[in-house]
Amino acid sequence: MAPVGPRSGEAIFASVERVNAELFTLTYGAIVRQLLTDLEEVEEVNKQLDQMGYNIGIRLIDEFLAKSNVSRCVDFKETAEVIAKVGFKMFLGVTASVTNWDAEGTCCNIVLEDNPLVDFVELPDTCQGLYYCNILSGVIRGALEMVSMKTEVTWVRDMLRGDDVFELQVKLLKQVPEEYPYKDDE
Amino acid sequence: MQFFGGSEISPSPPAPTAAGNNAHMMYVFNRNGVCLLYREWNRPLWTLNAQQDHKLMFGLLFSLKSLTAKMDPTSAEKGNLGVPQLPGQGCSFHGFRTNTYKLSFMETPSGIKIILVTHPKTGDLRESLKYIYNLYVEYVVKNPLYTPGSPVRSDLFNTTLDQYVRGIG
Amino acid sequence: MAREVSESCVDSLLTEMVSSYCNRFYANKPELAARRIEAIGYQVGHQLSERYTMERPGFSDHLEAIKFICKDLWSELFKKQIDNLKTNRRGTFVLQDNKFRWLAHVSIDPSIDGSSNEDNSGTSTENKAAQAMSMHLYFPCGIIRGALSNLGITCAVSADISNLPACSFVVRIKG
Repeated sequence: MAPVGPRSGEAIFASVERVNAELFTLTYGAIVRQLLTDLEEVEEVNKQLDQMGYNIGIRLIDEFLAKSNVSRCVDFKETAEVIAKVGFKMFLGVTASVTNWDAEGTCCNIVLEDNPLVDFVELPDTCQGLYYCNILSGVIRGALEMVSMKTEVTWVRDMLRGDDVFELQVKLLKQVPEEYPYKDDE
Repeated sequence: MQFFGGSEISPSPPAPTAAGNNAHMMYVFNRNGVCLLYREWNRPLWTLNAQQDHKLMFGLLFSLKSLTAKMDPTSAEKGNLGVPQLPGQGCSFHGFRTNTYKLSFMETPSGIKIILVTHPKTGDLRESLKYIYNLYVEYVVKNPLYTPGSPVRSDLFNTTLDQYVRGIG
Repeated sequence: MAREVSESCVDSLLTEMVSSYCNRFYANKPELAARRIEAIGYQVGHQLSERYTMERPGFSDHLEAIKFICKDLWSELFKKQIDNLKTNRRGTFVLQDNKFRWLAHVSIDPSIDGSSNEDNSGTSTENKAAQAMSMHLYFPCGIIRGALSNLGITCAVSADISNLPACSFVVRIKG
């Protein structure tokens, strides 16, 4: 049984089943390549990668909550921090940092210096405009939506495009409270 | 109805003599009020059809959450009764006990609600509910054939759950 | 030590990849979806085999190559070896994993059918489940075919899940 209270992402990562990252990296690469062949348009590939990430995020959130013992995600600032510090560590084994908060606390950037998705990846010139890691932004958007936060997630910097880090901007659009789901009692 | 901390309650069913039959039933709802799972071990009396039963249970929790938050003496910020809340916002209740049963409740920030109805003498089940949430993650969410938001059909989950619930004291 | 990620990363990526191909890109064309999923596996197997054989001498015969799949490749992927290897000595090999990890979380209860369609007898629900499950087997079959192809062996690979949680991969070497 997991102890009560927050645990560091490190401890959780150490306790979960782990696999060879090469398999993960190569599988992701093969998926992107197959999508480029099947969908032809780079824009469409970006869109589908984001959608796949979103679908993964809405599943992954429960594993994240169950294993991290996080019991509330009401404050956006707190939630962004915990996703960067605990979430990234617990799944990808890397730590992300949160920077650039705006005055209202509704927009921040998540910076990733080390990203297992891109180990041994070099984009050919034909992939201009491809956001190779777009699945990640989808995962964050999907996971946050499940904790009632509608967000917009966009890439600010991308190492595959020559930047020195990966950086995502996460912007809170609105928090959606839980409504009584049924129509008037019949 | 009595909330926790009340005095001895009576009449009550005989105290359980051995572990194994303390649990009556369990519900899992998602944030949209869909009953993902209903599991029953010991429920002699049925007065409603399943759909009405699920709806009533969800409604009970929804109202209780709203009421408990409204009556919170420690919080200055509270909405009006019935005003929608975010999961985990404000205070939250984790169970109640009547003379004939006890209801334990857990809600995750993702809006998953787990309700376990047991013998009134069962102890604090918050850790058990967390454990059940972990089972839900392992056997339901991670099942590649499971579509999120749809009712759960998993032998593996049911078997593991039954086994675990039998041990609840 | 080699870099690792949580097993859930791979599991959820595979689940989503299969679901995207089967339910979105080729919703009514399961054969096409299957071919694409197999192709993704093939690429992965080809690359993994390339990486793991870089520093070793070539394989003298088919059996040696199959043993490489059973031991080395399987250990890298699943931290265990294939449990049982059989061959008819005429180019067909059966590799059995007694508890195949990628199917460890798969479960379906045919007794309850949420859609409660009248025509939907227990058997057709079961069939649907079996079909959905088979979609998840094209990826590992592709990995094996890709890995062997990188070692110069052309083959066809299929999977048999009649004994879950065991899974048998049948490799038929061509030519």
